[in-house]
Amino acid sequence: MAAVRHPLAGLKVVEAAHDIGGEFTGLLLAQMGAEVTKLEPAEGSPTRRVGPFAKGRTDGDASLNFWFYNSNKKSVVADLGAPGGLQALLALLADADIFVCTLQPAALTALGLDLTALSETHPKLIVLSVTPFGLTGPWADYKSSDIVALAAGGPLNSCGYDDHAIPPIRPGGNQAYHTAASFAQIGVMLALLERQKTGLGQLLDVSMHEACAVNVELANPYWFYPRVHVHRQTCRHAQPSPTQSALFRCADDRYVYFALILSEPKAWEALVRWMESKGMAAQLSEPAFSDVAYRQQNFHEVQELVECFFLVQDSHDAYHDGQAAGLPIGVLNAPEDLFDDEHLKAREFFAEVEHEGLGKVVYPGPIYRFSSFGEVPRTAAPKLGEHTAEALPTRPAARTPEEAAS
Amino acid sequence: MPTTVARAESAAYAGPSRTPSARRGPLAGIRVADFCWMGVGACATRLLADFGAEVIRIEDRNRLDMPRRLPIYKGEARTYGEEDANPDPNKGGLFNNYNRNKLGVTINMRSPKGRALADRLIASSSVVTENFAPGVMERWGLTYERLSALSPEIIYARMSGFGHTGPHAEHRSYGPIVQAVCGLSYISGLPGEEPSGWGLSYMDNEAAFFNASALLTAIYHRNLTGEGAEIDVSAVEAGINLLGPILLDASVNGRTTRDGDFPTGNRLEHPDAAPHGVYPCAGEDRWIAIAVFNDTEWRGLVSVMGDPAWASEARFASQAARFANQDGLDALVGAWTRDKDRYQIMHALQAAGVAAGAVQTAEDTNDHDPQIAGRGLFFELDHPVIGEARFEGTPIQFSRTVQENWRSAPLLGEDNAHVFKNLLGVDDDEYEALAAEGAI
Repeated sequence: MAAVRHPLAGLKVVEAAHDIGGEFTGLLLAQMGAEVTKLEPAEGSPTRRVGPFAKGRTDGDASLNFWFYNSNKKSVVADLGAPGGLQALLALLADADIFVCTLQPAALTALGLDLTALSETHPKLIVLSVTPFGLTGPWADYKSSDIVALAAGGPLNSCGYDDHAIPPIRPGGNQAYHTAASFAQIGVMLALLERQKTGLGQLLDVSMHEACAVNVELANPYWFYPRVHVHRQTCRHAQPSPTQSALFRCADDRYVYFALILSEPKAWEALVRWMESKGMAAQLSEPAFSDVAYRQQNFHEVQELVECFFLVQDSHDAYHDGQAAGLPIGVLNAPEDLFDDEHLKAREFFAEVEHEGLGKVVYPGPIYRFSSFGEVPRTAAPKLGEHTAEALPTRPAARTPEEAAS
Repeated sequence: MPTTVARAESAAYAGPSRTPSARRGPLAGIRVADFCWMGVGACATRLLADFGAEVIRIEDRNRLDMPRRLPIYKGEARTYGEEDANPDPNKGGLFNNYNRNKLGVTINMRSPKGRALADRLIASSSVVTENFAPGVMERWGLTYERLSALSPEIIYARMSGFGHTGPHAEHRSYGPIVQAVCGLSYISGLPGEEPSGWGLSYMDNEAAFFNASALLTAIYHRNLTGEGAEIDVSAVEAGINLLGPILLDASVNGRTTRDGDFPTGNRLEHPDAAPHGVYPCAGEDRWIAIAVFNDTEWRGLVSVMGDPAWASEARFASQAARFANQDGLDALVGAWTRDKDRYQIMHALQAAGVAAGAVQTAEDTNDHDPQIAGRGLFFELDHPVIGEARFEGTPIQFSRTVQENWRSAPLLGEDNAHVFKNLLGVDDDEYEALAAEGAI
């Protein structure tokens, strides 16, 4: 079999990112074959100090947060704020294709780094700025974080519990940063396609705030058209008015998601047949319930019986049997459940990455699969400064972490 | 800073004419035979249409796209579930939202003549997209091999919940199912409570964005090598990637999460941010998110709060102490925010170097947010049935690339004559016959 080709092979990316938005962008490019060089200050990227950490360690080379977002990259110590830092950056940018930068306007000014000027002096370079609020505007230098971005951008307003005495609850992970990175990746690919046509790079200004503001799904069209607000509900779509619960507790104390749609005859019949097969359809088998209007009038009775039905089954049985019955039902997997999922195993989804001293570590596999090319196999994130000497050979030796610490 | 703002030009291109003409942008010249429907697919191909691709939505008159049927109508507040029994397919706001800048044709794929016409459209396209349940395209004979025979170097993007192989490939799925199965719902909520999960189909959007990236990557690769590709994106697998380091904690450390202390609501496990939460403000269901990561930010918060005595108690003396005493800290911060305007304290805290953001609604981001307004994220386009409508733009300002917003979403079959006659060379008699036989 011919070697897998990587679509971004040969492209050089320089990453000056101190948050997950920029780092995830760099990772997505590295996974498609770009050579991503991550610049870090002498003490290491701040993301190295964020846990969880591997096996009780706390050092900067053991952050799982850093590992996840910085696989397949090179680490070069070049503190942009230190003397010679900008020159080191410019040296790396001389033959780079893409510069990923998460610095906000005031920080850029303080460093003397002007992205517009950089774009002008490097006409082929794609300068990708990924910042909390964008490079312009009254909030451009406001601080952000995942929860702040989800709040101000709008997704958080749709997430939480039926009980509105409880505040909106942040969905887990780093989803505001992931959303920003998704758009940053799209922007880079569009800019690369533009460059294939014109030979010219450009400056891209991605705002995490705006990325979140267009990632609210129905909340926007409900405001654009009927001009109504959506209100958060427990683990189901925020809606203009309340809908029934879609989360069902099972015998094993785990949950399944199942939106009971009374108005679709086929789905209704499938549900009743399934409940009958377990001897639990009770009065739902009665002819009266085949009438939509009757079902809707007696909705609470239906909901109660369905609740009981799930309470006596294990969640994975309910998931598989319900799907086999043709119903859209999903089990709420915990992260540790995923490694045993038969479907993911059959698709050979998970990747194993060799980590020094640890052996093979399981990472998520590809986001997308292509028939004629593919992603670079995942490799461990670099140690701090692992590639400094190789990337900046002519530069007076950058300070090593030990020197910086002394 | 970027001076050429692509969005600002948009209005100039949304002229009175709805007649398609040559497109601008990095994808100009690329024709997409777009079988996508619902949210994921339409949202993915919207990105292509925005940036110059000639995206031709193929619809079935007898099986209307759900966003055409959902009663999200201008000037009509309806209760969800109160469906319109006989919806005007051209009135649905959600369809307009997802399908701007695209062409629209109707083809009856159950008719042999309809399928033959689809073949001709595919033969003149270089990209085909779909997000049906696995097996639907195969039933029409539209495998990658067949598409490649019709159009060499074709890119065939297939978007589904579980991917096109494996024992669950045919599982029914939509956003909330994907979010449940991939783990994103479970990792969201208060400890010891049922998961709060997501109040939106986050994974419909994220899968759409990744599908768009995959398409752009395949086009880039084809430009370099002349090689097409079949693309298989499983939204569940994309979602697992979005678990991030939480997944590594399970795989490296054997972390189990069903012990009752996970997830942690609005508090972080890492780093030791505190306060880190969403606090009540003056007004009904008004909130502010505040995130303090270090001593400097803590001092900023304390000074904005007016240096209350409790802030100098030993239990709040260090970041670690504050992190360990969040129950007490959150109650005190919440008592301070409770009677205050959410924006007033957001701006005061930001001025003091503290990350803070009002929880904004779609009304807030659309109509009152000066940061968004100044950058022109949202824009308007006219629509023959709906009238002037607002659209979500792209959160990227390009100094060179143009997003050409030339038209709102197509009416049902609006571009049949243009596409079938002008682009595919169907003559008038044949066109009339296709229409009379119900093939289009």
